[in-house]
Amino acid sequence: MKVVIVGAGRVGTTVVEALHEEHDVTVVDADSARLGMLTTSYDVTAVRGDAASRRTLEEAGVGRANLLVACTSRDEINIVAALLAKKLSPGTTTVARTENQEYVELWRQRLLELDWMVSAELETAMSVSRTIGVPAARQTDVFADGQVQVVEFDIDDPAPESGGLVGRPLRAASAPADSKVVAILRGDAIRLPRGDDAIEAGDRVVVIGSPQAAREWSRRLAKDRRAVEDVVVFGAGHYGIAIARVLLEQEIDVWFIEADGGRASAVAELLPEARMFHATGFDPEFLRRERISHVTAAVFALGDDARNHFGATLVKQLGVEFTVALVRDAVSGAVFERSGAVDVTINPRLLAAEEIVRFTYDPRTRQVAMLQGDRFEVLDVTVREGSRFAGKRFHELPTTGSIIGAIVRNGRAVFPHGDDVLLPGDRAIIFTESARAALVQQAL
Amino acid sequence: MTAAAERVRGFRRGLAVDVVAALNLVGTLVTFLPPAFLVPAAVAVGYDEPPWPFLAAALATLAVGLGLARATRRGGRVGAREGYLVVALVWLLVAALGALPYIFARGQLESPLDAYFESMSGFTTTGATVVADIEGLEHSIAVWRQLTVWLGGLGIVVLALAVLPRLRVGGRQLLEAEAASSPEAGTLTESIRSTSRRFLGLYLALTAVGITTLVAFGLVGLDERMTPYNAVSHALSISATGGFSPEGRSIEGFSAASHWAIALFMFLAGANYALLYRAFVRRRPSALVRDDEFRLYVLVLALGSLLLLTELLAEGIASGEAAVRHAVFQAVSIMTTTGYASLDFNQWTALTSVTIVALMFVGGSAGSTTGSIKVVRHLLMGRMLVRELNQTVHPELISPVRLNGSAIEDRTLRSLIVFVFLYLGCFGLGALGIAIEGAHGDTGITPFQAIAAAATTIGNVGPGFGIAGPMGSFAEYTGTSKAIMIALMWLGRLEIVPIVVLFTRRYWRA
Repeated sequence: MKVVIVGAGRVGTTVVEALHEEHDVTVVDADSARLGMLTTSYDVTAVRGDAASRRTLEEAGVGRANLLVACTSRDEINIVAALLAKKLSPGTTTVARTENQEYVELWRQRLLELDWMVSAELETAMSVSRTIGVPAARQTDVFADGQVQVVEFDIDDPAPESGGLVGRPLRAASAPADSKVVAILRGDAIRLPRGDDAIEAGDRVVVIGSPQAAREWSRRLAKDRRAVEDVVVFGAGHYGIAIARVLLEQEIDVWFIEADGGRASAVAELLPEARMFHATGFDPEFLRRERISHVTAAVFALGDDARNHFGATLVKQLGVEFTVALVRDAVSGAVFERSGAVDVTINPRLLAAEEIVRFTYDPRTRQVAMLQGDRFEVLDVTVREGSRFAGKRFHELPTTGSIIGAIVRNGRAVFPHGDDVLLPGDRAIIFTESARAALVQQAL
Repeated sequence: MTAAAERVRGFRRGLAVDVVAALNLVGTLVTFLPPAFLVPAAVAVGYDEPPWPFLAAALATLAVGLGLARATRRGGRVGAREGYLVVALVWLLVAALGALPYIFARGQLESPLDAYFESMSGFTTTGATVVADIEGLEHSIAVWRQLTVWLGGLGIVVLALAVLPRLRVGGRQLLEAEAASSPEAGTLTESIRSTSRRFLGLYLALTAVGITTLVAFGLVGLDERMTPYNAVSHALSISATGGFSPEGRSIEGFSAASHWAIALFMFLAGANYALLYRAFVRRRPSALVRDDEFRLYVLVLALGSLLLLTELLAEGIASGEAAVRHAVFQAVSIMTTTGYASLDFNQWTALTSVTIVALMFVGGSAGSTTGSIKVVRHLLMGRMLVRELNQTVHPELISPVRLNGSAIEDRTLRSLIVFVFLYLGCFGLGALGIAIEGAHGDTGITPFQAIAAAATTIGNVGPGFGIAGPMGSFAEYTGTSKAIMIALMWLGRLEIVPIVVLFTRRYWRA
């Protein structure tokens, strides 16, 4: 496979490291010194130039490339390079890294013609959430004014103590009420589960259910069932906001500490549910007064390894039991954890790089995992009068390649059981293979 | 060149406000008034009354307007800076010209002070009167009174919704985002124009529906007394939340059905026009439920009604449906600063009197023709109070004060506090003045009545207590008291700040 990697920074280097042995890799960067370092260590072709220019991309051989990964530290360059590559060579799979969730949203709305977007913030936030003990939904799609959610969960390995969710055939598993497992992703395979399939450790599952059920899933999949009530996040930058969003979605109280007044106000406006303090967070008197030591966990996202470390040491002394710090420098991780001040370090760049590498191994699975990829879709179809499935019981409906997760009847969401009957006028939320989407729509 | 001329030139050079341009705009605006005099003139002819006071007033107004506009045609452009002066002068001048028919008619309002009071009360949609015997007024004069209220409402719709927000008066910027968000709004003048046009349409619609409903009530026999004349007179006053009535005993004589209908129209007229527009024109009624101000507006109305109702029942003043009706009507009427009375609340208890005076300080919603402080300001003041208390304990805590989900800038909150302080300050001074005058005169005006008189005029409500109750008038008040009240109505209507600004050095200097 021919791979073009744009950006020879830390993420780029990690990706190159993982891919250079099996693939024909070309690296594009504007900085010849960085390129020099890469070419001496790995067997890769280097092209110096501006990645957002047609000439450079053509020089890098984008026309023959199977995959282009744009992972410079600048979002806009990545997006332009990936969009341009797609136009120059429609057959190339394009991946862009971004630090801005806005772009991810745009991509999800299909306004950016890229095959895959990796957000370091989102990956970091997910990782923080898992670390703290609440596995968060990877992605939530909302239907019927929020009454129906389509949610993706990662099942940890080893399997969590989930109250009978994992390892049992689905018909015997005590899944939360008003929810249905519509897909299980295991390795490369995706299956639409029947009653005798079981969720295993390491799977990724897609669940359709009510918002309450989705929360119940999160709770059950919690690793050690530690009750996480409140988390203090130091630093309200991009990473802090992404982390807070994921935690707030889990109904965890989030306290922010931000030293910059303008930034603090802006984020307080953006996230009304979080509590915002304008303080450095390095003042023990302040930390004591605000009872920061009582929180379940402290997350450090100050954008500076040394400050993160100092802060973590301070709150540890004040009695916070669990601390998580983001690190920029690969060396910091080991140092922090050795010192005992930081329980877990998370390296956002590494996470992003890992995500990209995983994608290159099996692009299809990853896309499916995003639901909006090419192979699977969630349909919202109203059952017409005279459909041949209207009036049938759910267990009589065919199950090949599609599965009804929920129906909306008279404006209310119903999560059907096998004996329920599908009626004309019902809105069905259906998880289906894209290839069958038209067929399903026709049949209903 | 003489020293005096030198000084004048020096002064004019240092002047940063284009007074000439401002006067020019004032003159132009005044020339829109003369046609309005033709309505009562026509009524006069119909009722066999002399029409000439109105025709003379129309001519005089035209002459003043054209003369002013002509004399000042060399002015430059009117900007926001001149806006304050224009707004302040227009109301003063229009009220003066509108007083002319009263003076010319040589009736009960012959004294220029009384005429000016009545005219100012009309154009500021206050509804306070100095006419002792309202039913003794000629029809044409009575119609002119009602019409001044409606014209005042028209002016306020433009002023409150389109002009004041741009002059950043008393946190009025709150509405600015709303006004500016109309898609067709390009430049500032364009957006003022499109906003005013939209809300003027709403105002006209409200008037039309009010007239139709009340006329229909009279025709189908729901209310014997509701003649077309009464229906139109009252509907004009209701849509402007004014409170003038050609009836001596306010609307006491009308039927229960009319009371409920009028209460409903007052309630609608006291809601935010931008919200009404969204709910009824854009057909998104859920906007009402989600609006913070509207919810508090309803809540305060409900609480006020409940308080009045308990007292009415406990004291046996009214019972059953009548008690509910009078309680709700009075709460709506006072809170929306209309000032109608379905019963003489003057004769109720001390508790109801205090409740009614308290409601005078609430006011309706921002973006309506109501006066007073207005619900949204109370809402934000309350939220600010909670925040300040929280920050006393948690000094580093940042919690933006929100309105409908979006954070309100600190600047806006500051101008809001300034407004409330100025409002209370002007009210206090006014009440003091009226109380001192009352003590000197032989009219027996108590301090409470003086307080009510100041509150009702600065809040553009209308009726007071004692001899100035809803069925009485301010006729017996001293000349000084009347002058104070004229000033209060003017200040309250223009939301005080644009006028006070004129007294600062920085306004006039570069």
